[in-house]
Amino acid sequence: MLGKEYEFKIGIIKKIREETYNVSTFHIEVEGLNGEVKPGQFNILYLFGGGEVPISISEIGRRRLAHTVRFTGTITNMFRELTVNDKIGVRGPYGNHWPIEEHQNEDILIIGGGIGIAPLKPIIQYVKEKRSKYGKLIILYGARTPKDLIFKSEFEEFRKIRDSELHLTVDRGDEKWKGNIGVVTTLIPPLKLNIENTVAFVCGPEIMMYYTVKDLVKKGIPETKIYISLERRMRCGIGLCGHCQIGPYFVCKDGPVFPYWKIKEYFGVKWI
Amino acid sequence: MHTRGLPLKKLGLVIGDWRDLERLFKYLKDSGYRIIGPKVDGNVIKLKELKSLREFPKQISDHQAPGYYRLEEGDFFRNGDDSPKKYLFPPKMEIFKVNRDLSISFREIEKVKIAFFGIKSCDTASITIMDKVLGERGDSFYKHFRKELFIVTENCIKPGENCFCSSMGTGPRVQSGFDISFTRIDGKILFEAGSERGVKILEKLKLPHANAKLKKKFIEVLEKAAEKAKANFEKRFLAEKLELAIESPIWKELAEKCLGCGNCTMVCPTCFCFDIYDEVFLDEYSKRVRYWDSCFTYKHAEVAGGHFRPELWARYRQWLLHKFSYWKRQFDMLGCVGCGRCITWCPVGIDIRKAVEKVLKWVDENVR
Ligand code: SF4
Ligand code: SF4
Ligand code: FES
Repeated sequence: MLGKEYEFKIGIIKKIREETYNVSTFHIEVEGLNGEVKPGQFNILYLFGGGEVPISISEIGRRRLAHTVRFTGTITNMFRELTVNDKIGVRGPYGNHWPIEEHQNEDILIIGGGIGIAPLKPIIQYVKEKRSKYGKLIILYGARTPKDLIFKSEFEEFRKIRDSELHLTVDRGDEKWKGNIGVVTTLIPPLKLNIENTVAFVCGPEIMMYYTVKDLVKKGIPETKIYISLERRMRCGIGLCGHCQIGPYFVCKDGPVFPYWKIKEYFGVKWI
Repeated sequence: MHTRGLPLKKLGLVIGDWRDLERLFKYLKDSGYRIIGPKVDGNVIKLKELKSLREFPKQISDHQAPGYYRLEEGDFFRNGDDSPKKYLFPPKMEIFKVNRDLSISFREIEKVKIAFFGIKSCDTASITIMDKVLGERGDSFYKHFRKELFIVTENCIKPGENCFCSSMGTGPRVQSGFDISFTRIDGKILFEAGSERGVKILEKLKLPHANAKLKKKFIEVLEKAAEKAKANFEKRFLAEKLELAIESPIWKELAEKCLGCGNCTMVCPTCFCFDIYDEVFLDEYSKRVRYWDSCFTYKHAEVAGGHFRPELWARYRQWLLHKFSYWKRQFDMLGCVGCGRCITWCPVGIDIRKAVEKVLKWVDENVR
């Protein structure tokens, strides 16, 4: 059928959780997607009359997926109007995923900056479900201010996972903030890591990932065991429209997750 | 050797004249093809539907230079501003309708049976590229329009000022991806088949084989043309070498005059970027419309809250390196067929051949 590659399924919004003043998580019930959803993948969501936006999947359920949306663009701002039981279009899942299965028995280091923690959350969920198959779980998460931290209501749960650590930081604190102040990389040097046996998954603004990777390498983690998830303008999600390119890669298909060694020659080149 | 491929296909070269070309035209038309070929439209030769071969601008020549295009009387023309892309990957097209309840009304498009008649060898190569870039990767519309395509290519005996197909290995003699080719030599027409279908049709025309003398003439003419359609660089290691300049300051210099108008990407027969937007009708339904986009537009690499190529020089680098470098790793071919359109239709006459040369020179001088 013509145009089949752009066909979406109808998703029903079951729950909306306000994370911050400009971020909400939408729990969407949807069936008949392309296949099993894996941590790190994204969907393209469609709002009638508005258009499509790629949004990473922040929670994977059997028939329900969560998408954490920041209201910054024309279409994402339309998400503010959505209420429970509204319908939206969902196509996907697209892109590759965090290679979590290939790193069983290792310590898992998760580093998220801002909304970048969203596509990392399914790893936490995964490790929790298969707890005995993985070593330590260390989560570093930084946001601009305490008000910008998302998933706050789940921090306790993260901490309760056996053998886990959650370290938070904000660029600027407020009266109530008693935690660390500084960018997320400031959390790296004090960490006690089992270098031989740690894999790192990183997602956040490019500049944050750039310095995070540097610090991880300094700490001794090999580039082959650092994974980053890239953001680009994505329009089609299926490797056709050309928007998401970085060097020879189509982020929507070859990514969004890249082992650092693979993307290294392009990542960090100015305005590539 | 740009006439590699000789000895000729199955049938070899057969010889006829203009009337035989008319017979071929008629045969295709009677077989139900919609014939698309070069035709004068205002001041440009465009690819349009031809009702008869009389519309083929046989006695017209085009004069092309950087930022320059004029038609005049003559005996041979090159390509205009549009290309086969327009028919296989339309500039603006509805994908489907979304109804208010989010159900989708898919489109039914009648079977299209197009025969390109008299496109040049660079454009023929561009179809092979699109087959890989759009077809193989699952663009259902491309596949639909492409399915029944028949291609009659005219070998380029007189390449123009801006042509460099020879350096890109796509011409002036068509090598593959065509059904029948024809060449205007000494008032005669030499035909050659490039596919089984082509062989069958040429057999029906019952034309005599060209003799050794004519074959030699054919080779000479096309060798001479190949010499003319050259840029000052070699295709070998071009992709790899250009990428060595990825962080060079030269891009700023190259893009200095660029207006960011995107003409180059629109006229390019292989540029494939597109975007899709919603066109809402009285809140009842919304059309999902696909249209050509360009890596030169400001929003091409913009995301909510950021921009990956905010300045024009970075977008110029993206265009050039994509065509000549990244494309190779993506599709195992280059994204430029050397048609010269981007040179002709650039309002400020930026010449991509010169740009490539400058980048190579920078690499020679600075990377050691
Ligand atoms: S880049 Fe320029 S010369 Fe090359 S195929 Fe495109 S329009 Fe033709
Ligand atoms: S046609 Fe010329 S001015 Fe316009 S975007 Fe291309 S290179 Fe720049
Ligand atoms: S989003 Fe269209 S090619 Fe990647």
